[in-house]
Amino acid sequence: MRETIIALLPILLPVFMGTILLFLKRLKERKVILFYTGTGLLLTGVLAWNVILNAKDQQVTLFWLTEQIPVMLKPDVLGKVFLMVVTVVWICTGFFSFSYMKHEKNERRYYGFFLITFGILMGLGQSGNLVTMYAFFEFMTLAAFPLVIHNQSREAVMAGLKYLIYSFFGAYMALFGLFFLCRYADTITFTPGGTLNAELIADHGQMLLIIAGLMILGFSVKAGMFPLHAWLPAAHPVAPAPASAALSGIIVKGGVFAILRVIFYLFGADFLRGTWVQTVFLVLSLLTVFMGSMLAFGEDILKKRLAYSTVSQLSYILFGIALLEPTAVCGSLLHLMGHALIKSTLFLCAGAVICRSGFTRVSELRGIGKRMPVTIWCFTIASLGLIGIPPTSGFISKWYLATGALDSGIAVFQYAGPVILIISALLTAGYLLPVTLKGFFPGELQQEAGHDTWKKCEGDRLMLIPLVILTALSVLLGMFPNSMLNYIDGMLSGIM
Amino acid sequence: MEMLRNFPCFSLILSMGAAIVSSGLSGKLARRLNTVLLMIITLLSAGTLYLTFTTDTFYVYKMGRFSAPWGNEIRFGNLEAFMALFFCIVMLLSIWGGKKHLKKEISDFKENLYYVLLNLLLSSLLALIYTNDLFTAYVFVEINTIAACGLIMIRENGHTLEAATRYMLMSLIGSGLLLFGLCILYDITGHLLMSNIKEQVSILTETGEYQLPLTVAILFIGVGLAVKSALFPFHAWLPDAYGYSTVSSAAILSSLVSKGYIFLLIKVFYRVIGFEVIRQSEFINVLFIFGLTGMIFGSLSAIQENDIRRMIAFSSVAQIGYIYMGFGLGTEIGMVASVYHILSHAATKSMLFIAAVGLTDVSGQSKKFIDLTGAGYRNVAAGLTFTVGSLSMVGVPLFSGFISKILFAQACVGHAYKMLPTLICLAISTILNAIYFMKTVVRIYTPVKSEYASLPWKKDIGYGVVCILFIVMNVLLGMNSEPIVELIRSGIQMFG
Repeated sequence: MRETIIALLPILLPVFMGTILLFLKRLKERKVILFYTGTGLLLTGVLAWNVILNAKDQQVTLFWLTEQIPVMLKPDVLGKVFLMVVTVVWICTGFFSFSYMKHEKNERRYYGFFLITFGILMGLGQSGNLVTMYAFFEFMTLAAFPLVIHNQSREAVMAGLKYLIYSFFGAYMALFGLFFLCRYADTITFTPGGTLNAELIADHGQMLLIIAGLMILGFSVKAGMFPLHAWLPAAHPVAPAPASAALSGIIVKGGVFAILRVIFYLFGADFLRGTWVQTVFLVLSLLTVFMGSMLAFGEDILKKRLAYSTVSQLSYILFGIALLEPTAVCGSLLHLMGHALIKSTLFLCAGAVICRSGFTRVSELRGIGKRMPVTIWCFTIASLGLIGIPPTSGFISKWYLATGALDSGIAVFQYAGPVILIISALLTAGYLLPVTLKGFFPGELQQEAGHDTWKKCEGDRLMLIPLVILTALSVLLGMFPNSMLNYIDGMLSGIM
Repeated sequence: MEMLRNFPCFSLILSMGAAIVSSGLSGKLARRLNTVLLMIITLLSAGTLYLTFTTDTFYVYKMGRFSAPWGNEIRFGNLEAFMALFFCIVMLLSIWGGKKHLKKEISDFKENLYYVLLNLLLSSLLALIYTNDLFTAYVFVEINTIAACGLIMIRENGHTLEAATRYMLMSLIGSGLLLFGLCILYDITGHLLMSNIKEQVSILTETGEYQLPLTVAILFIGVGLAVKSALFPFHAWLPDAYGYSTVSSAAILSSLVSKGYIFLLIKVFYRVIGFEVIRQSEFINVLFIFGLTGMIFGSLSAIQENDIRRMIAFSSVAQIGYIYMGFGLGTEIGMVASVYHILSHAATKSMLFIAAVGLTDVSGQSKKFIDLTGAGYRNVAAGLTFTVGSLSMVGVPLFSGFISKILFAQACVGHAYKMLPTLICLAISTILNAIYFMKTVVRIYTPVKSEYASLPWKKDIGYGVVCILFIVMNVLLGMNSEPIVELIRSGIQMFG
């Protein structure tokens, strides 16, 4: 009973509070809405940490969906890692929105769905079997949808629909796996090392490989892997900046998380190692790494550039997973955490810039560093993190990814991987650093007419504090990764 | 307990008696009588279900003094009682939900006629569910057809008259085929009671006599009932009949009338021909193929539709396709899935029709999508109900549609050559469903400054309660499917 309450509270509380907020039509006072939302976010944060610190790794069955399929929660280490990332990023972006959303309409709806999505993510992290995860995955898609189409322009709605259709398509591909796994696996409860039944699959190895491939491809839609990545650069720029930060930081990680579950907790790494599925997965992820960086490099609209960058960076994580090798997976997890912190920082910075100066294109950002020094400093530090310059977190994770690739001994990929990672890191520098360079060294800007160039337009405290916290955390993760590494070490040896 | 055995017979006689009495009553009294009748029959069916469930057997009830093979019989087990109960509830909710429209759309002196027809329809549905005599079934099929025609054209405008004529024509073709089939069956077996025919059929299959007439009989009965239940490609009458009739009629027709015929077909499969014989015949492959094409083409037509009611109607074509596809798998578990889908679809489709009418009410009675923009804000209950219905149709977990999809998929996994086509069609159909239902949901939640926005929309408590009941029913089916599936399974075993 105690475990059930611990696990359920962080899911139910924000969903409940969010739903109430949606229906409180009379509530027009902005301060009250903000106070309510802030309380909701913080309370959920506390409850989530309660799960992380106190919950035991034990199954909590809520009810039975059909006679073989229970809906159950099971907060294990991987889930807790996900919860940590979600909590930190979600609360920071939430508080950032308080300032950013001031001039947007329908704030009540935004905060309502923001809270609901928070609760659903808590559920996603804790889900104990495939069906539960699938359910929360679908709900995550749906609950985040109003955030994407928030300004309800035609462009936003079309991008939102694209997001919805792609996500559903992916989820259904993954759903097929469920039908087969119910038959060929001992259980669909997540078990480290996989649950396939060796006797049953004896003659159906090839078919199950196809299924595994479909599931990976299906969940990778959310993670923006080529060839089904197109929703991502469409949906991110139209959403309000804090929503894109949440999308890019967390929602897309939902796809990565699901793939981790499928590979290491259902099929088992040994089943996939050395098969064509692994090869395809490796090729696609590497292709996406490269393609995403190239597209980002050529893009002028800042948020779109960051979105392409997300496409590329997420495939770093997927590449690490695809290697099926402990060091690389460790790198993937670190990159998952690091990228969540960094990319949300970058999007929030972009949001602050858009909100305060109205500029959306990189080419317009000359001299912005003088006007918004703290924001651009955060942007710079986060960029360095993403490029992978020590002591930021990107360095550590990429280090692990590259050594993992070299250790894996998979022909071609053990060398091609690190090479592409390095090329992509260069491209990352190429598309992120110009913002800093132009921002702090504008050149001959003063002469241009019509620019009140040096006027400060730094965001208020509500904007800056979350930014600084996220940036600091990303640096801390890079400087002291050991505590994190120790935390996930036991899990890694369990799943491989 | 002995008393409970009479309940099915009571409910039949009560509903027919109420039809006769209603013809002499005023509209208001007839409505009350109908409500009371439905509630009584709900209780009676619950009593019957209690009887069969606790004793775990089926009962044969002799109508009149003569025993088999001359007399007429009622035979009921778990499934029959549960279906009767469920049909009554859905009917009650559908009538309540469309009450306002009934008053508006039907001229005053015909109001009692509507309830006469409803009572007749109810009696025929109950008879189709309970009877053990094929000829009685045929008689009530005809009563059902006539009552349904009346329900369509009672609105008295050009569209409904045309739709009713079409419906009449197609239905009569169906009944004609059914009658042919029955005649042939009577001819080669010499019986009309289901159990007696089955004995003879099993002898015939052993000796190998009359194989051709038997096949033709199966074909006629199957195709006849398929035409009447609007299996693709016999669905031409359906969109007009559902789209233009008054909303209660549409909800009842789509969720109950077509299901009554399908239920009769299941009984024919199990109790007249024998499931083994059916399974070995090619007939189920025909059903399978038509079911699959229906799943795809129904959804494709729904996507092109610009009228919300007709869109929902076309979606029915797709859902009927699912049910026949389940038959076509030719396995016990496929049958269970189909029966579950009958329940799930009945609950969801009536819900969608009732929700759609709530949306059109606040959009100047226009059914065009463009006018429905933002209707979800103007009528919150209808918007919410429509959303839940759509999610269920798309197959989001926790709602009933997901369970039927899981059951269908589990039924086909492991099937030698029907697995792939089924899974592929399920996937395509689901994606198509997602496209048109999500499109509508987005549409009704897109705020717009429309001329209808300012219209005073009186809060309708009764309608709201119906909406909530529909949602509760759907979620109950979705979250608590285990006992229901168990009930269906035991009920089908009692068929045999």
